[in-house]
Amino acid sequence: MSGRRRIPVALGLCVALACCERTAAPPAAPGSAVPPTIAYEAHVAAGGIAPAGGVLRNPHAGDAAVAKAGEQLFHAMNCDGCHNLGASGWVGPNLGDGRWRYGGADGEVFASIYYGQPKGMPAFGGVLGSDGIWTLVTYIRSLPLPADLPTESWEQP
Amino acid sequence: MLRQPIVLIVLSCATASLPAAEDGQWTMPAKNYAATRYSGLTQINAQNARSLHPLWTFSTGVLAGHEGQPLVVGETMYVVTPWPNVLYAFDLRKEGYPLRWKYRPDVSSNALGVACCDAVNRGAFYADGRIVYNLLDGHTVAVDARSGRELWKSRIADLGSGETVTMAPLVVGERVIVGASGGEFGIYGWLKALDLKTGQTVWTGHNLGPDADMLARPGAFKPPYDGGVDIGAKSWAADSWKTGGAPVWGWISYDPELDLIYYGTGNAAPYDPEVRAGDNKWSASVLARRPGTGELLWAYQFTPHDNWDYDATGAMVLADLTIAGKPVKALVHFDKNGFAYTLDRATGKLLVVAAYAAVNWAKSVDLATGRPVIDPVRQTGVSKGKVMGVCPSLEGGVSPTSPPAYSPRTHLFYTSTNNLCMDYGAMHASHLRATPYVGVDWAYHPGPGGHLGAFIAWDAATGTKVWEDKESYPSWSGALVTAGDVAFYGTLDGWFKAVDARSGAVLSKFKVGSGVVGNPIAYRGPDGREYVAVYAGIGGDWSLIAGDTRSDDPTDVREPADFMKDIARHTSQGGIVWIFGL
Repeated sequence: MSGRRRIPVALGLCVALACCERTAAPPAAPGSAVPPTIAYEAHVAAGGIAPAGGVLRNPHAGDAAVAKAGEQLFHAMNCDGCHNLGASGWVGPNLGDGRWRYGGADGEVFASIYYGQPKGMPAFGGVLGSDGIWTLVTYIRSLPLPADLPTESWEQP
Repeated sequence: MLRQPIVLIVLSCATASLPAAEDGQWTMPAKNYAATRYSGLTQINAQNARSLHPLWTFSTGVLAGHEGQPLVVGETMYVVTPWPNVLYAFDLRKEGYPLRWKYRPDVSSNALGVACCDAVNRGAFYADGRIVYNLLDGHTVAVDARSGRELWKSRIADLGSGETVTMAPLVVGERVIVGASGGEFGIYGWLKALDLKTGQTVWTGHNLGPDADMLARPGAFKPPYDGGVDIGAKSWAADSWKTGGAPVWGWISYDPELDLIYYGTGNAAPYDPEVRAGDNKWSASVLARRPGTGELLWAYQFTPHDNWDYDATGAMVLADLTIAGKPVKALVHFDKNGFAYTLDRATGKLLVVAAYAAVNWAKSVDLATGRPVIDPVRQTGVSKGKVMGVCPSLEGGVSPTSPPAYSPRTHLFYTSTNNLCMDYGAMHASHLRATPYVGVDWAYHPGPGGHLGAFIAWDAATGTKVWEDKESYPSWSGALVTAGDVAFYGTLDGWFKAVDARSGAVLSKFKVGSGVVGNPIAYRGPDGREYVAVYAGIGGDWSLIAGDTRSDDPTDVREPADFMKDIARHTSQGGIVWIFGL
C-alpha cells in the first residue's frame, strides 16, 4: 500500500489560543489545541440575547499561498472524496455556493472541521491540529462564488 | 382474518425449493432464490396491459433514492425506506391499505456521510415470521412480521472503518447472509452469516486476503481459471489487500440443489490501480460459498486488476438454459464492465460471454482462460493521467442496483442499461480511516447513438440482444417479467412502463412523480387480483451526479450534470410507493 496519509508539517503551527479572541467563553486548557466554545453568528437567540462565545480569527485569512496549500490538503485528507473536486458537493455539501449548513464564519467552518458534524462529517481536529484546519478554512473561503445560483431555467431566452 | 395463518404455512414450504408453484407473494428481494424476478401471475398480460392504471400511492416521507422493492407476505405489504430505514407494514385487506404498524429503528445519522452514494436500502427478506433487513449504520434487525416488534438488532459493520450496509440480506435456513458497502473507503470486504433466531454472527468470510480469512480450504476451493495458495493476498502488491475494498452491496442468490450461495464483490480500492499491482482477487468477482459454513468453493473474476471501478455486485441470476443443444445449470450476470456472462454455476466455468453495451476497455473475453483481452490504451493509473473515452462508464453498462429479470417462458433476460462512456483520471489517494479512499477525476459522455440508456431483452444462451427500447436517460430501475409476458421497468425521468416481453413494444406508461431507481414486483392481492408495485424516488448516484434533482437543503445548491443538463426538468426527489392494477 503506497497510499499514506500526508500531514503537512511545513506549515507553521499556530496554537489555537493565539488565534482566538475570547470574549466571555470558558477558557480552553493551556497548551491545548482545542478552541473555546464559539459563537454562532447566524443562530437565533431566545429572548434576543445572544450567549457569550469565542470568536475565532483565522491567522491565514486571505493568504493566497495558504489557500493553495489548503487545496492540496483538501485532497490529501480525502475531503474531495465527499465534497468533490473543487468542493462543489458530492455526498457532503457544496462548500463553494456561499451557503452554510453549520455557519460560514471562519470560526464556524473551523469548528465544523475540527469537531465534525452530524450526518457523517468526520472530526479532523485530532489528525490535523489547529493550523491544518485553518489552512483548509483558508482554501474553502477562497473559493469563487457562482454568479447566479438560485434559478435553474430550461426555457430558451 | 382467518386466511393469514394458512398463507404463512404455505409460504414456509414454498420458499424452501427453487421452482415453487406461484403463490402470488413476493417474500424475498428477487422473488425467489434463483433471483429471476419472474412472477407466474397471468391476469395482467400483453393483451390487457394497456389498461393498467394506478390504484394507490403512499409517500414514504423520505427523500433519498428508493432502490429495492416491497415485499408481499400473505395479506401484508412491507416497505423499507432509505435511511432512516423505516419499515412500514400495510394491511392489503382494508380499503386504502392502512398501516398495521411501522417500525422506526434507532439508526445513526453519521452513516449518511460514510455511505458513498446516497442513503439507499435495497430491501428486506421474509423468513419464519420475521422481516430481516439492514440499517445503513451497520446493523441487521429482525422484526416480528405480525406485531412489528424488534426481535433482535445486531451490529455487523463498523462505520468508523468506512463500512455501511445497503444490501438486502438473503436467508437460507437458519442463516441470514449479509455484507457491507465501503469500496470507496478501502474496507476489508466480507460476507457474514447471522443466526436467524438470535442475530449472532456464525461465520465471516472475507472476499480477499489469505485463504484462512476467506474460508478457502486447500483442495476444496477450486477457482476454474486460477490456482495457488493465498491468491486473495498474493495478487495484491505488498499488503494492499488489507485496504482493498471488494465490498458486498448487491444481491445474493442460492441454488438449494448445489447448496451454494452466489454473490458479486465490488471494486478494488483505491481507484488508482497502480498502487495495487496484480489481479486483486477477489474484487470484481463472483464467489460461491456454502451457506451453512461459509466455505468458499469457487470464484471467478470478471475484471482482473480493476482499473475502472467495475464492481461486480450486480445480480447473479440462476437459470437452467439450453446452450448448443445441451442443458446447463447456468448463472447469468450483467457486469458493470459491459459484458454479459453465462457461467456453469456448479464450477464457475465461463460458457458464453458477449458485450451487451458499448465496450472498449477490453476487446473480448477469452473463453479458454476466462480473462478479458485488455486494450492497453484504456488502462488507467496516476502515471497515465486522464484516460479519455473509456466505455462503459463507472456507472456500469448495467448498474448493479438494477437487477435483471428472467422469463422461463421467453427464455430471455430483461435489464435496464446505461449508455455512457467516461474520461478517467486516477489520482493519488491516502488511506485515512473513516474518510474516502477513492482518488479519481472523471467525466461522463453519452455513448454511441447519443441516447443515455435502454431497456433490453437478452438471450444468455447465445449472447445476443433480442430487442432494445432506447431511453433518453440512464436506465436505473430493476426489471420484472411475468407469465403474462409483460416486462416492467421505470425510467430516471419518472415513467413506469409495461412492455411486451416478446417484442419490447410499450403497452402502457405512467408518470410516477419521481425518477425510478427501484425494482417492480407483482403479487396477488387478498381479493385474488394481480397487482404491480414499484417505488418512485430518484437517488443513488443520481443524487450526487445530478444534484440539481435535489431541493432538500437550501444550504447545498448543485449544478446540473454536464452530460445530462435537463433531468431536473422532469423529476425531483421524493419516495412514493405505487400500486398498479387493471
